[in-house]
Amino acid sequence: MPDNLESFIQQHREEFEGPGPSPRVWDALEKELGERRKGKVVQLLGRTWFKAAVIAVLLANAGVLYYMAKTRHQQQDLAVVVPELQDAKVYYTSRINEKLELINTYPASELGLDSAALQELQLRNDTYKTLEKELNNNPGNQRIRGAMIRYYQMKLDLLDKILEALHEKHAAPSQQKKQYEAEI
Amino acid sequence: MKASVNNLNQTQLAGNVIDRCKKGDVRAFRELYDAYSAAMYNICLRMTGNVSDAEDTLQEAFIQVHRNIGKLERDTSISAWIKRIVVNHCLNTLRKKKVYFEEVEEVEVAEETAIDENSFTMTVAAVKTAIHGLPHGYRTVLNLYLFEEYSHREIAEMMGITESTAKTQYMRAKEKVRQIVKQQNLIH
Repeated sequence: MPDNLESFIQQHREEFEGPGPSPRVWDALEKELGERRKGKVVQLLGRTWFKAAVIAVLLANAGVLYYMAKTRHQQQDLAVVVPELQDAKVYYTSRINEKLELINTYPASELGLDSAALQELQLRNDTYKTLEKELNNNPGNQRIRGAMIRYYQMKLDLLDKILEALHEKHAAPSQQKKQYEAEI
Repeated sequence: MKASVNNLNQTQLAGNVIDRCKKGDVRAFRELYDAYSAAMYNICLRMTGNVSDAEDTLQEAFIQVHRNIGKLERDTSISAWIKRIVVNHCLNTLRKKKVYFEEVEEVEVAEETAIDENSFTMTVAAVKTAIHGLPHGYRTVLNLYLFEEYSHREIAEMMGITESTAKTQYMRAKEKVRQIVKQQNLIH
C-alpha cells in the first residue's frame, strides 16, 4: 500500500515534469546524424565501386572486340612494331596473377561481386580468349597485338584499384568497432 | 511542453513515422524526437541531476535510438524501448562519474517509522529539492521505482545490485526525503 510520499508523488506526477531540452540538443543531434549519413554514403560508394569498375572493364572489353571486328577486313601482315608481345605477356601475366592471388585472399562476401563479375576479373576471360584466338590467326596484326597490350594494362589498373579499395575497407571495421565500443 | 513518458504511446505518432525512421527519413526522426524528447529529458534531468549531463545523455541516447530503430520489432512499445535506452545511458553517465550504486548511506531503517508524515507539509517543490539532494544511489533507485515505474527486480538488473539492496535503498531514500522535507518545513 503506498505511503503518503508515494501517494503524494502519484497525485502530483505531472507537476514533477519540467520543460523539454534546449534546441541545441537537436542541433547537435542533427549534425551528428548528418555525419553518420555521409559515412554511409561513402560506404555505399565503396560497395558499388567494385561493380562499377567491373562494368567499366566489360565496356572496355566490348570496345576492344568492336574495334577488332571493325578492322578485321584490314588484316595485314605488318612488320612487328609493337614490342615483343611474348615479353609483354610474361610481364603482365605475372603481375596480374600476383594481384589476383591477393584479391582471392579476401572472402567473396567482402568483394560483393557475383560469379559472372568474378569470372570477368580473371586473366583468361572471354575477351582474352577472343584476342588470343585472333592473334593466333593473325600473328602479325598490329591492331590486335595493341589491343592485347591494352587489355593487360586495363586489367592491371583495375586490379590495383580493387586492392587499394580493399585495403581501405579492411582498415575501416576496427575503427568503427572502436567508435561503437566508446559509445557503449 | 510538459510530458510524462508514462502517458505516451506509439499511437500518438503518425502511423508511418517508425517505418519512415527505419528507412532513414530524418524528418520522421525529428517527429519521433519531438514526441519523446521532453519526457526523456526529464528522466535524464532527474537521474543525472544537472542540465549539462542531462542534455549530453539525451543526445547520446537518441543517437542510439537512430542507430538501432531498424531492429525495433513491430510489437515492441516504442516509448518503453526509448525509455530503456535513455535510462541505460543515464546509468552509464553516472558510472562514468564514478558513482557506485552499492554505497549505502548510514541511515537506520528503524528511523523509517520515526518520522510522522502528518507532522510536516509536502509540496512538489520541497519533494523535488529533497530528491535532488539525495546521494546518487538513493536518488537513482527512487527515481526508477517511483517515477519510471520499474520493479525492484528490473532496477536491480539495470544497476547491477541485488534486489534486496534495491529495496533497502528505496526505503532509505524515501526516509531521507521525508527528513529533508521536514527540515525544510522547520526552516520556513
